[in-house]
Amino acid sequence: MRARYGAGPLHLFAGLGSLLICGAAVLQWLASPDALRILIWFVAAAVAHDLVLLPLYSALDRLSGARGVGSWRVYLRVPLLLSGLLLLVFGPEILRLGNATYRTASGGTQNVYLIRFLLASGALFALSGAAYALRSTRS
Amino acid sequence: MFGPPPPGPFRPGFWRSPLRGPWLTSLLGAVLLIAVPLIAVTGYLSNAAYNPRLGENALGRNLGLLDFYLFPWPTHPAWLYAFTQGLHVTLGLAAFPILLAKLWSVIPKLFEWPPLRSPAHALERLSLLFLVGGGLFEFITGILDIQYAYLFGFFFTDAHYYGAWVFSGALAFHVLLKFGTMRSSLRTRGIVAPLREKLTDTRPEPGEGDDFAAPSMTRRALVGTVGAGSLLLLAQGAGDSIGGPLRRLALFGPRERFGGGPNGFAVNRTASSAGIAGHDVGGAWRLTVRGAGRSVSLSRAQLEALPSSTHELPIACVEGWSTTQRWRGVPLRDLARLVEMRGQLTVDVSSIEQNGVFAKASLGSQQISDARTLLALSVNGEYLSLDHGYPARVIGPALPGVHCTKWVSELRFREAQRR
Repeated sequence: MRARYGAGPLHLFAGLGSLLICGAAVLQWLASPDALRILIWFVAAAVAHDLVLLPLYSALDRLSGARGVGSWRVYLRVPLLLSGLLLLVFGPEILRLGNATYRTASGGTQNVYLIRFLLASGALFALSGAAYALRSTRS
Repeated sequence: MFGPPPPGPFRPGFWRSPLRGPWLTSLLGAVLLIAVPLIAVTGYLSNAAYNPRLGENALGRNLGLLDFYLFPWPTHPAWLYAFTQGLHVTLGLAAFPILLAKLWSVIPKLFEWPPLRSPAHALERLSLLFLVGGGLFEFITGILDIQYAYLFGFFFTDAHYYGAWVFSGALAFHVLLKFGTMRSSLRTRGIVAPLREKLTDTRPEPGEGDDFAAPSMTRRALVGTVGAGSLLLLAQGAGDSIGGPLRRLALFGPRERFGGGPNGFAVNRTASSAGIAGHDVGGAWRLTVRGAGRSVSLSRAQLEALPSSTHELPIACVEGWSTTQRWRGVPLRDLARLVEMRGQLTVDVSSIEQNGVFAKASLGSQQISDARTLLALSVNGEYLSLDHGYPARVIGPALPGVHCTKWVSELRFREAQRR
C-alpha cells in the first residue's frame, strides 16, 4: 500500500471522504442557475492566488530582501502593508462599487469611505514615522 | 518522470525571504485553526437561523443532503443571532490577513518539484485546489457582500453556503495531514522564543537551507504587522456589531445611523427603494390575518386597540451589524388567536412590497410561541417611521434581520409540520 500509494490507508480514506464532501458541494453549485459564474469565481480564486499574488509576493520579497538592511524600511513597510490591506479589503466601498445597492439598502452613500481611507492611511504613516523618530533619538 | 525543476518558482533559490518556514506557517495555522472553525460554525448557524425548510425561506434553492439542521433555531437569548453573526463577520475580517500571511508562508510548496510524487501526493494536491480556491472564494464573496459590491453576479447565499462545504471538506483533510507537523514545530521552537530574536539573530529555520536573502525584518515585526492588520479589521467588525461607543472604530463598517429622533437608527431597505408610497400605508391599509379557513381584517386603529407589550430587541443583519431598540407591538401568538389558532404554529408573513427578495418570510413555531415576537407598531415610544416599516413590522428575538418583514399586509398562520 505505502509503496504504491505513497501513504497509509487512513490517508486514502480521509482524502476520499474530504473530496466527496467537496464534490457534493460542487454538485449543489452546479444546480444553481448561476453555476458557470460560481465555478469561474472559484477557479479564479485558486488560480489568481498563484498568478496574481505570486508575482506580487516575489516582487515584495525582492524589494525587501535584496537591497540590504535598513531599519527605516520596516517603518515604511508596515504602514504600507496595513494601508494596502485596508484598500484590498474595503476597496469595493472605497471605490464606491456597491454605491447603488448601498443607497437602496441603507439610505446612505459610500462617498465617505475614500476620505476615511486616506485619513486612516495618513494616520498609520504618521504613527510609524513618530515611532521611527522616537527610536532614532533614543539610539 | 519529471526531470530537474524548470527555472523560476520551482527552484528553491527563487524564494528569498528567510522568514518562511514550518514555524511561521504553524503559528499562523494555529491561529486560523481556532478562528476558521468558529467562522464556519457561526456561518452554518446563520443558515439554520434562516429556517430554509419553511415556506419560501430557501429562496428557490433546492435543498440537498448538505442542508441538514440539528436543532430548531432558538429564540433565547434575544441577542443570539446578533452575537453569532457579529462573530462570523468580525472573525472573518480578522482572519483574512492571517490567511493571506499563511498563503505567503507556504507559497513555495505550491511550486514544489516534482509536482506529483505518488497517488497520495496527487490526492493532497487536488485537495489543495479545493482548500485554496474554496477558502479564498468564501472570504472574497463574504467581504464583497458586506460592502454591497455584487461584482460576482451570482446569488450570494447559495454560493457562499455550498462554498463553505467545499472549504470545510478540504480543510478537514488538511488539518488531519498537518496537525502533527504544526504541533511538533511549535513545541520544538516554542511560540515566544522566535519572536524575541533581534534582526541580527534572525536566521532561516533549521532544515530550510541557507539560500535566502539577509533578513530585513524580524519575525516579531512580521507577526506584529499581521496581528495589527488583523486587529484593524477586527475593530471594523466589532464596532459594527457591538455598537455603542465602539461604533466609532468601524470607519469602514457598512452601516450608519439613518435619520434622527426615536427612529434614528440603521435601516435595511428604505421605503422608497421598496416602492412603498404614502397611499399604500394610509387609512385604507388593512392587516389580513388568516388561518384554518378563517380570515380577519384589521385597521391600524384596531391593532392599536389590542393589548400590546414592549421589548428590547435587536435588528441583527447577516452583514454583521446590529442595532437594539425598544419595540412595542402585538405578540404574533395573540394575533393567531383572532383566527382561533393555538399550539405549535408557523406563520407566512407578506409585505406590501412587491419586488424584494424578502417580501415574504416564514417564521417557525419557536418564534410564534415566544411572546416577544411582535407585530411592532412603535419603536422607542413613537410610531414606526415609513423606512422602519410603518404601519406594522415583524420583530422577534434572535431572528435574522431580513425576516423582520416591514410594511406587513398579511399573516397566514399554519399548524407546524412535525419533522
